[in-house]
Amino acid sequence: MATGGRDGSVPVVHSDKTLLRSRNLYKQYVLETTVLPNEPECMRELRILTDNHEKGIMASPPDEAQLLQMLIKLTGAKTTIEVGVFTGYSLLATALALPDDGKVIAIDTNPEYYELGRPFIEKAGVAHKVDFRAGLALQHLDELLADEANHGAFDFAFVDADKPSYVKYHEQLLRLVRVGGVLVYDNTLWDGTVALPPDAPMSDMDRRISAAVRELNARLAADGRVEVCQLTIADGVTICRRVV
Amino acid sequence: MASTATEAAAQPAAAAEQQQVNGNGEQKTRHSEVGHKSLLKSDDLYQYILETSVYPREPESMKELREVTAKHPWNLMTTSADEGQFLNMLLKLIGAKKTMEIGVYTGYSLLATALAIPEDGTILAMDINRENYELGLPCIEKAGVAHKIDFREGPALPVLDQLLEDDANHGSFDFVFVDADKDNYLNYHERLMKLVKMGGLIGYDNTLWNGSVVLPADAPMRKYIRYYRDFVIELNKALAADDRVEICQLPVGDGVTLCRRVK
Repeated sequence: MATGGRDGSVPVVHSDKTLLRSRNLYKQYVLETTVLPNEPECMRELRILTDNHEKGIMASPPDEAQLLQMLIKLTGAKTTIEVGVFTGYSLLATALALPDDGKVIAIDTNPEYYELGRPFIEKAGVAHKVDFRAGLALQHLDELLADEANHGAFDFAFVDADKPSYVKYHEQLLRLVRVGGVLVYDNTLWDGTVALPPDAPMSDMDRRISAAVRELNARLAADGRVEVCQLTIADGVTICRRVV
Repeated sequence: MASTATEAAAQPAAAAEQQQVNGNGEQKTRHSEVGHKSLLKSDDLYQYILETSVYPREPESMKELREVTAKHPWNLMTTSADEGQFLNMLLKLIGAKKTMEIGVYTGYSLLATALAIPEDGTILAMDINRENYELGLPCIEKAGVAHKIDFREGPALPVLDQLLEDDANHGSFDFVFVDADKDNYLNYHERLMKLVKMGGLIGYDNTLWNGSVVLPADAPMRKYIRYYRDFVIELNKALAADDRVEICQLPVGDGVTLCRRVK
């Protein structure tokens, strides 16, 4: 998720990980008061390592990871899917939140990034819950669907990957996640660009992604198979509950 | 959302800032959503969310209640539509059945709750002002969910203390939403920690207090914001340090802190 604005004429998108007007409210307050004091050590270490990575901007911020953990514990989720892993910050958060016999199938095209985070997952004692699969998510999800035993077998799914594919992942996940289960989509506000006029200056990439995200939001809002809730945490997180 | 006598006196002062005087010298109040609009980077973004994901899904009864409330002079106290949707989702996700609401105002979050819980679900709802509740009650009745509500007029602390006298009430609530007088949140918290079940959820509203929690003490701010700011800051610190709960602070509305009881 590289930022735009290299030539200076286009606004930089995603320069920080919040949609709040006040960076101080986010960094100095929400993070310092509520989030970071409760962040497990292994997650902190992984976060610091990831922040130094050239693609560090892709990682879920700690307030979002805290929300994921809360959702997993509140719903008693046991079997989950994660599409898009990067170095594994949200994966580690998930694994820590799941019960001891819980499982997360985690899919990413880039196993090298995952290898950076794997030691932290192991050190945290939760590696046994993680089933990492390298490759394209569309293919891996199709493979899961090929076995009928997987239909409706999952409690929870978190998607933080290539935005234009979200609408396809949605179709697959709606068959894998059980009725009453939860699907969470990340970056659904794309730094607020979804609300900008169509001719607002932005990089070509951001324009493309912003359009894909707008399309996703419209589709989810109209999808009678789910109830939706769009939160302004991080870069916009949409929670869907499967009802049909 | 309830208001203590002090907060009630302070609110119209804030609403007065939005009032315009028309040709006859009468004051007309303009609806203003103080909390949530100002927290996000852009008002357009908030409008986008409302129009894309919230309003199309908002049940008719909630829309009616929201419109009735918009005409009320203290309407900035109301729960916003996006927050109502969030509460509704949350309640369904946790399968809440026995719930409580401290602070009702005209009942928008109360209706969101009543619609989410099952047919035999219950809400013990408390507010010092029955009149405001009765403003929204017709919408709740029309929605067919008024039978789930047990409304008690008056301050909440005595009701909570009375509940605690009976052991059967300890650890019996699935969910509590607190949207009331900020100077009493910590007092509510102490009692709710005994009334909410293990794994149960408490939601505290307005915990970002218009963003004022991060401003220096001498920054310009509305009187009622300044009055309660220290209480909110103290609450947030206390919740973060309270090992009986796991917490999550979300920028929904004016900031909502979810607390899951673990001890």
